Amino acid sequence: MLHDLELIQVGKTYPDGTVAVSDFDLKVEKGEFVAFLGPSGCGKSTTLRMIAGFEDITNGEILIKGQNVSAMPPEQRPTSMIFQNYALFPHMTVRQNVAFGLDLKKMPTWEKDDKVDRILDMFDLNDFADRRADKLSGGQRQRIALARGLVVEPEILLLDEPLGALDANLRRIIQNELKLLQRELGITFIFVTHAQSEALGLSDRVVVMSNGVVEQVSPPKELYRRPVSRFVADFIGSNTMIAGRSVGAGQIDTPLGLLSGQGAGDLAVIPAEAFRITPAGTPGEIRLDGTLTGKSLVGSVGHLRVRLADNREISVETHAATPGAQALTPGQPITLGVDPAAVTLIQS
Amino acid sequence: MNTNLLKPGLAAYTGLFLLFLYGPLIVLAILSFQGPNGGPQFPVQEWSTYWYQHLFGATDTSRVSQLPVGESLLRSLVLAFMTTVVSTVLGVMSAEAFRVRFKGSGPAFYLIILGMMVPGVLVGLGMALLSNFIGVSRAWWGTAFVLHVVYTYPFAFLVMLAIFNRFDRTVEEASLSLGVSPAQTFRRVTFPIIFPGVLSAMLFSFTLSYDEFSRTLFTIGRELTLPLSIYGTFSVEIYPNLFAFGVLTTVFSFTLLVVYGLLMKRFTAVKSGSYKGQEEAA
Repeated sequence: MLHDLELIQVGKTYPDGTVAVSDFDLKVEKGEFVAFLGPSGCGKSTTLRMIAGFEDITNGEILIKGQNVSAMPPEQRPTSMIFQNYALFPHMTVRQNVAFGLDLKKMPTWEKDDKVDRILDMFDLNDFADRRADKLSGGQRQRIALARGLVVEPEILLLDEPLGALDANLRRIIQNELKLLQRELGITFIFVTHAQSEALGLSDRVVVMSNGVVEQVSPPKELYRRPVSRFVADFIGSNTMIAGRSVGAGQIDTPLGLLSGQGAGDLAVIPAEAFRITPAGTPGEIRLDGTLTGKSLVGSVGHLRVRLADNREISVETHAATPGAQALTPGQPITLGVDPAAVTLIQS
Repeated sequence: MNTNLLKPGLAAYTGLFLLFLYGPLIVLAILSFQGPNGGPQFPVQEWSTYWYQHLFGATDTSRVSQLPVGESLLRSLVLAFMTTVVSTVLGVMSAEAFRVRFKGSGPAFYLIILGMMVPGVLVGLGMALLSNFIGVSRAWWGTAFVLHVVYTYPFAFLVMLAIFNRFDRTVEEASLSLGVSPAQTFRRVTFPIIFPGVLSAMLFSFTLSYDEFSRTLFTIGRELTLPLSIYGTFSVEIYPNLFAFGVLTTVFSFTLLVVYGLLMKRFTAVKSGSYKGQEEAA
């Protein structure tokens, strides 16, 4: 089947030998919302810019709708890019900004006007259409940038930290708008961010990157529940990691006893919310003994600090309504139960 | 120093500074209104606009011949205009090239800048010798024009370099990503945004060329530019008509400056707004 976007072994090495990205493989289907997530300098923006054509690639191939665009200049690629700083044209009005991409296209004037009108309407920009873009607020400017990028009807919309310059409130609003917009238009979105919540909340699939390498490509939930590498387990959510020695399928021997979980490896990854403060007593349940060292209840969520037998402190999340949660006092011994199904074994 | 004295002190200093700066010009301006029988020095015999009329040949008869600057003024203006166009175009293009580091960009930078650093008299002399050697006759539109460009182009280049230095590249990328060609992107996005810088580069080129003396001296040939022909009149006797002319060219320069200021105001209103906005966003 034809993919909207296909990256095959894409890599970029700078002339001085620095590797920005290597062996990037990804297939994106039409209408998918994919997020590139990683710490700054991990190569996510570089990859996006390679897809847009602003950076050339030194390895591999980039295909858009089956066509190799690796050597195509940015203006010929069917992509549109949205920038963190909006990159609006300061010398033009809102309408001129939005219409800019259509201006030089061979198309009847009425059709251009029609398209511009419709998109201005869609983004609620009619009231400011004749104002200069730089006089408006951040949220409005990002809407203008989106309208400008979408009016040319790209196959793929590339968003480079588009919410990074907005305050928290506005970020949530635009985030929701983006999600709705993407569903409505059915256009493929590639979204670069360093904020976990944005990537996990918006996308169908997340590409986690570190040091120019793809660590994992998964739906958000999967990423959360089944990290495949130590980096991902560290980076996503808050996990407790217990190292040991592999002893047969799905089991490792650790200083805290025998632990079982999904997958294979010598490191057990336990999500913070997998701990139960009162073991259920089900067969095969993992039990960890420790001492409660701290506790805080924020609304309905309880955060517990527990010191395990190997002296490490872990954080455990619990529901405030869980029986016994209120009665816990720091200093008392506690036994935590973990369902082995929630534990993932990875190679450390 | 006491802060109460600091402000008046600085004000007085600034006043004195400006007085020294414009003192010569003020003396010149006062003496230009000398009466028909007055000389190029104080006291002013009687106030009149006689020498202004004299400049345009509007006085009946005179003991002094008319100042022979008409043609050289026109020549200087045309030369300055030509220089402005060529230097600014070169300056914009090369500054655009210097936005990315290329092989040899370091030496190329210093070689360009050298054009404004080397002593004018020497370059002028060298050019005269060279033109003699290769058999090209010296002319204001030839040898002198080339040297004017060599001299003013580095200024235009530096101005544009500073402009591009704080230029936000993403607006160009946004334009490309919308499917607009690089040429159209330059014409419709880059150029309008850098236009205030282009105006400054033009102003620099024009003033420097219009005023150029040492480089022109050896390369001008027979038809002189304004600074040279004015210098030529010094060898005879100086009359207040020269001062009147000085006042008029100063007025012309001021007009040019005002036009520049108005254009800048009009075009930077757009720009400063955008910078303010981007800071807010960041």
